[in-house]
Amino acid sequence: MAKRFTASTASPLTWWLFAVTMAIVAGVSQNAMIQILICAAALFAILIFREEAPWSRSVKFYLFLAGFVVIARVLFRIVFNIQNPEDTTAIDLPGFSINLGFGPPVELFGAVGIQALTGGATDGLRLAAIILSIGMASSLANPRALLKSTPSALYEIASAISVAINLAPQMISSLQRVQKARSLRGRSKGLGSMAGTVIPVLEDAIDSSLSLAASMDSRGFGRRGSLSKPLVLGARLSSLMAVGALSVGSFALLVGQTQTLGWVLIAIGIVSSFASIRINSKSQIRTRFEPMKLQFFDALILSLSALLLIAAILGWFA
Amino acid sequence: MIALRDVSFGYAGTERPALSRVNLDFLPGEFSLVCGATGSGKSTLLRILNGLAPHFTGGSLSGSLVIDGIDVTGSKPHELAAQVGFVNQQPESSFVSDTVKQELVYGMEQLGFNRDKMSDSLKQVAELLDIEELLDRPLSWLSGGQQQRVAIASALAAGQKILLLDEPTSALDPEAAAEIVGVLKSLAHEHGITVILVEHRIERVIELVDSVVIVANDGLVTKGGYEQFENYHLVPPVIGLSTELSWNPVTVSVSAAKANWERGPQQWKQLVNENLSKTVAMEVNDLSVSYDGLDAVSKVSFEVHAGEVVALMGKNGSGKSSVLWAIQGGGKRSSGSVKTQFGDPKSLSADERLCVLTLVPQKAADLLFLNSLADELSESDKFAQLTDSGTSKIFESLTGRLDPKIHPRDLSAGQQLALVLALQLVKGAGILLLDEPTRGLDYAAKRSLAKQIRALRKEGKSVLVASHDVEFVALVADRVLELESGKMISDKLTTVALGIGSSHPTQISQITGQPGLLTLSQVEKVQK
Repeated sequence: MAKRFTASTASPLTWWLFAVTMAIVAGVSQNAMIQILICAAALFAILIFREEAPWSRSVKFYLFLAGFVVIARVLFRIVFNIQNPEDTTAIDLPGFSINLGFGPPVELFGAVGIQALTGGATDGLRLAAIILSIGMASSLANPRALLKSTPSALYEIASAISVAINLAPQMISSLQRVQKARSLRGRSKGLGSMAGTVIPVLEDAIDSSLSLAASMDSRGFGRRGSLSKPLVLGARLSSLMAVGALSVGSFALLVGQTQTLGWVLIAIGIVSSFASIRINSKSQIRTRFEPMKLQFFDALILSLSALLLIAAILGWFA
Repeated sequence: MIALRDVSFGYAGTERPALSRVNLDFLPGEFSLVCGATGSGKSTLLRILNGLAPHFTGGSLSGSLVIDGIDVTGSKPHELAAQVGFVNQQPESSFVSDTVKQELVYGMEQLGFNRDKMSDSLKQVAELLDIEELLDRPLSWLSGGQQQRVAIASALAAGQKILLLDEPTSALDPEAAAEIVGVLKSLAHEHGITVILVEHRIERVIELVDSVVIVANDGLVTKGGYEQFENYHLVPPVIGLSTELSWNPVTVSVSAAKANWERGPQQWKQLVNENLSKTVAMEVNDLSVSYDGLDAVSKVSFEVHAGEVVALMGKNGSGKSSVLWAIQGGGKRSSGSVKTQFGDPKSLSADERLCVLTLVPQKAADLLFLNSLADELSESDKFAQLTDSGTSKIFESLTGRLDPKIHPRDLSAGQQLALVLALQLVKGAGILLLDEPTRGLDYAAKRSLAKQIRALRKEGKSVLVASHDVEFVALVADRVLELESGKMISDKLTTVALGIGSSHPTQISQITGQPGLLTLSQVEKVQK
């Protein structure tokens, strides 16, 4: 390997596509091993390819969130324990039953079965894998470069996304600044400190994301030629359909009971997004000074994503 | 070039319009300064000219905007991008790309230029702003002044004939600021670009502009020449001197003021050097800070006496903030020690430090977190275990009484600063560290801050203030320390450091040429 591959060797779009694929695999799979593998792969990618940049500092937060989710899921299973006589007991805790005054009494603790524990852990790990995949993309992909490579066909959405995507890394850097400043007041604990940190951080993050969006707009982002009225309507309808189908479809897949419907919806979503981009790009006027070339590294990651996706559709990860 | 007709603008939820019935014209190649108090509609006025207001700011606009003979009322910013370039207060927050070249072509890409035209314009604009050798650099490597040049270049790359700038020099040291203003003038006068600039520090640009637009707090806008400043209180020392001495017409340039000063015998008083307390409040020894092996501060040593105000000056990146944070103890310190009455702040807890010293960071509002002024004040009393509302006493002594129900974020920048000072001083800290406190303050707010600092000094408190605002330092400081690339290069009395013959003389020193005469308050007023 003559040149070391780093995060910016690949396009930010590639990282996000890869992350979404990994998240889909994690969502479909019921197998704890696969979830652990995905978590490991995401962390591995972060550690290997990470560059020194403001957005790459978010890893810790995603890791914390992922760990929290797993622990919370397992704890929930222990506290709100549903007794299953077929399960082998792992920890035998004394059980409580609390009468709330309405409905049946709530059962707490009791003998916790192995299946309940592993079930909780798998649920938690699935979410953790999704969180870490997204974390991987957001700490490897330069959010501004991502924004630049967004097709201006998606202008209305892209402006909103630009604000949203820049929010997370921005919030982390403001958080560090505000915490440092807050330490000057000598009181860093307590509830007041939460509000005291959250308000300035949010204000800052939103301000700066808006200012970026304003600057892009001032320089012509979102400009396009004219389209005939029916075409504009068609473009809007197809983008709406794409977003709707994709979100309902992924929800269906994650919930896991209506797999076929989920895949059908996702297919519809993909087709209509292409249609929308196709119509919109008829009015595209943007040019490129240095055209983006698909690097070998991009191709590698994208084909890996494609393989993963096919395997997921074929049900190999179930 | 630009015509505004009967333009009014109001934000939702406020009764007072930000701008009311504005009629303005700007000619091609005109260099115009927009000024007004903090919170007046001056930034809004600028944003109306390229559609950012109301499209990004919200609010409602009436009246019409004509650019280059075409009515563009209600256009979105991207629809005006080919005619109007916009430069934000902080260029680093508006950069879209990684390298200078990518940033410069970004606008042209959006406007659909072909590649040949892009490389031609790229060459031209790089030459125009003298940034040819920076083209392949990452934006994050640039200094503040270079970033500002790149931001201006990318706003003009597509051949825009109008350039709007919102406080482009606020984050720059005086040298870098003077360079940028010079560039703007040549863009206007040699290249026919209409340059409209919002700026607080009028003294940095006043000599070079063709016209002045004043936005009053009631939303009324007037445009004209310097004569407007005659009855205006937000003015730099040179204009202040001119009105104090009843020079007619108003003098805005240092050289004209010099000639006027020499013509008549003028009365002024020497600064009284008040006797300095012998008590050393703080002793800094060989303080060094390094980040990733790079020295930001190296072996800085100095003393601050009780009741003394010391200014820490130096260019951006010379290590001023690092010194303050290292002294306070919350920031990084690689070696060295700080001696105070209660020991080294580094070895104290955050709570204990507040009894010894306190730091007010650049963004003072970061320290405020409750929903009303009254809540902030009483929380502070509780924290300091005071029963007699001591915090509000300090606050009122600094800024006067204010409506206790007001939200801290609705206070003006100057009032926020005063509130933070009160909150931070309530535990009786004898040493106050201030990091660039005048950023974003207008002249009136700066004068009132200077007064507050002098009052604290009188109580025997020691103040160390990092600033590159020469006029403000002249108002408050007894002594000036200068940092260059993390090393201390001079330690002088303010009268020497900012007096005639120094590297940063105040405007009054430049005009009068008198050693020991630094500020307007020393000059005796002449009755009309």
